[in-house]
Amino acid sequence: MADKASNAPDEALSLEPRGEDLLAICFTAMASPCEVLLPSTTAPTAALELGTLVAQEAWRVEKKFSRYRSDSVTAWIHENRGTAIEVDRETASLIDFAGQCFELSGGLFDVTSGVLRYAWKFDGSDRIPERAAVARLLPRVGFNKLQWRSPRLLLPDGMELDFGGIGKEYAVDRAYDSLAVRCSAPFLINFGGDLRANRSPPHGPWQVGIERPDTDRRATMILDLNHGALATSGDSRRFLLKDGVRYGHILDPRTGWPILHSPRSVTVAASSCTEAGLLSTLALLQGARAREFLEEHGVRYWLLQ
Amino acid sequence: MQLESETRLAKAAHTRRQLMAASCALLGAAAARGQEARVAPADSGLLENWSVDSALAYYHEDGRIQAIEPVVNIAKLFADGQALNFNVTFDSLTGSSPNGALTSRSAQTFASPSGKSSHAYTTAPGQLPVDPHYQDDRIAVGGNWTLPVTRVDQLSVGAKLSDEHDFFSVTLDASIAHDFNEKNTTLSLGISEEFDSLQPIGGAPVPGSDYALFEKTGHKSKNGVGALLGVTQVITRNWVSEFNVSVDRFKGYLNDPYKITSIIDSAGNTTGYEFESRPDQRTRKSAYWENRVALGGQVSTGLSLRYMRDDWGVRSDTAQLHLRWSFSNRERYVEPTFRWYRQTAANFYTPFILNTEALTTAYEASDSRLGAFHALTYGLKYAQKLPGLGGREESEFSVRVEYYQQTFNVRTPTPAALQGLDLYPGLKAALVQVGWRF
Amino acid sequence: MTFKQVSILCLLSSTVISSGCASLGVKPWQRDVLAREDMRLDANPLDAAIDDHMYFSKEASSGGRSFAGGGCGCN
Repeated sequence: MADKASNAPDEALSLEPRGEDLLAICFTAMASPCEVLLPSTTAPTAALELGTLVAQEAWRVEKKFSRYRSDSVTAWIHENRGTAIEVDRETASLIDFAGQCFELSGGLFDVTSGVLRYAWKFDGSDRIPERAAVARLLPRVGFNKLQWRSPRLLLPDGMELDFGGIGKEYAVDRAYDSLAVRCSAPFLINFGGDLRANRSPPHGPWQVGIERPDTDRRATMILDLNHGALATSGDSRRFLLKDGVRYGHILDPRTGWPILHSPRSVTVAASSCTEAGLLSTLALLQGARAREFLEEHGVRYWLLQ
Repeated sequence: MQLESETRLAKAAHTRRQLMAASCALLGAAAARGQEARVAPADSGLLENWSVDSALAYYHEDGRIQAIEPVVNIAKLFADGQALNFNVTFDSLTGSSPNGALTSRSAQTFASPSGKSSHAYTTAPGQLPVDPHYQDDRIAVGGNWTLPVTRVDQLSVGAKLSDEHDFFSVTLDASIAHDFNEKNTTLSLGISEEFDSLQPIGGAPVPGSDYALFEKTGHKSKNGVGALLGVTQVITRNWVSEFNVSVDRFKGYLNDPYKITSIIDSAGNTTGYEFESRPDQRTRKSAYWENRVALGGQVSTGLSLRYMRDDWGVRSDTAQLHLRWSFSNRERYVEPTFRWYRQTAANFYTPFILNTEALTTAYEASDSRLGAFHALTYGLKYAQKLPGLGGREESEFSVRVEYYQQTFNVRTPTPAALQGLDLYPGLKAALVQVGWRF
Repeated sequence: MTFKQVSILCLLSSTVISSGCASLGVKPWQRDVLAREDMRLDANPLDAAIDDHMYFSKEASSGGRSFAGGGCGCN
């Protein structure tokens, strides 16, 4: 989630106007620009207070589950590999959710696949790993190899747990819930492109820009969002290129190799950000069948090939 | 197949519900209160970036015309489905162009169309008479606007202007398209109107008049109107097909002002020439069928057929085939193409006039384009996607070559005196084109 | 076959095609292949325009896919 070396996130909030009708409380979390949009009629003190609520929830989730922090629950789980431990309720829910996604996706969505990064470095070069190097890591991948019976977890030696795939979207939903009980005004929470809104502001729906819909890859599309969540999964920035073949960074945990022919990005609309993020990730994992998968499941989506 | 996809759908719906339930379990009661997202593409809003498609073609006929033709087309797509399109074409031709006269056993001298003595030219015995001073530069601009009227209807209007030193043309067109059957079928109807103004160098000849008299009149015009009815149909997941019928009618000065017909005697000697004389009306009808078929993830093929007939007696058949082979995750492709074409001669086509015959028809022309011939085109294209330049999405670079050959089938018996001469040499041409799309 | 016969036959076929469409065509989620760049009926518009110009100036036929007028003085 947080791709930073330091342990202390930059905990600063700023308040700025957004056009004539909105104001934004901005901060950084999970290595992404985050913002909460509120109507401009909100008093600055109230806006800052509400913004702080959201930011604190974002930083809380980040601190708790980031694999880069030595004081996170993830780090603690890794320290106790090979022994049975009891995790808290929130972590247990996340692991339950990860397990259900693992089953429903036929093993494609796997929170234990993080160890594959030891073989794959997606720096745009042509250095793809050797088959043997990837094969050596495969025994350490597989959610079914965990011993999990809520709330008791036994993570075998050599394995890792990584909530990065759903962390940002989960944070959006948690922040949304904590804001929704306190704020009856229309608002939109946006953590680096994964966003959710409760209802439209008076001047009209929220205008969300999506880069390049599938109708024309060179264009930007504007969506009118009334309420609900949008999440985007993408493949464009991190990849390797060798002999004319593009190796995207979405890896198939069953083989250890990249999924071929997936779209460059998928944006999904759903009632919660977690569900939207999961569907967009699952779509990318389908490779060439992404569009079919999204159509079959009756998902609202926008896809870039 | 139907049952399989229904089962798949039912399974997918079940999976979707389970995913939703899992998310709810994770997020707690609060999530259960969340409704489905309400989101739609914005009604208006200009999208960024024009897309540009450009090409430079070089055309070369064996011993005749050569041409350079740059073309640029820019398009912009709006979020609500509206689209705008502009294009500019420039072409520059030079070389030798057949003037319609017949090869003779003696040398022939011709005046240039402008009458300038410096541009008069002589053709050696046994050679096809060609005007070696042919030159023409042309610029054309066009635009098109497409507007979705309802979710299933679309309106399109376009205009084109073309200007050369001796010809000016304006074309307007409009069409509507209606989708139905879950967008598997589209019905289109279009009309077009063309206004052409001719200002031939030296004036437009009186049709059928004696070449030596050089009777010229002022500028001329012609107009055309056309209608097209089409059906596009998705046949299977891998096969889409389009069928069009169209008709057009042109009226006005339809002659080629620079073409003449040789008058010969029974000994095969050319005794004179006259300017061609075509009817002042021409109606053409055609039926066209095009198919695109995907043969797997890397390969697709296309076949199109066209049948045309007009009231000048010309009938033609065209068949075109191409195969596209994509590599490297569709970042490159190779596309060989083939075209077969055959046409019959116009009723009044005649390669020469015998001076002993009374003129049986009012009309005559020896322009090879109205004669009977068949033509073959062989082509090969290679295209490759390149990484984006300066922050833009990737672009595509392509190179294409084509070889076009016409072979004549003239039915008119050759006069004995002219046996052995190559009277109808046909045409060989090559096209090389580079393209860049971004 | 005369032009009239050919076009009546083809229009009839297209009527049959259009009305028999319950079995002809694809569901919205089956349009993945049709969405490919090379499956567009106008996949290479500039190539087609350059070729059409060449054929218009060397042959007696034009059009079919679109309007037949040439819009230039080369025929």
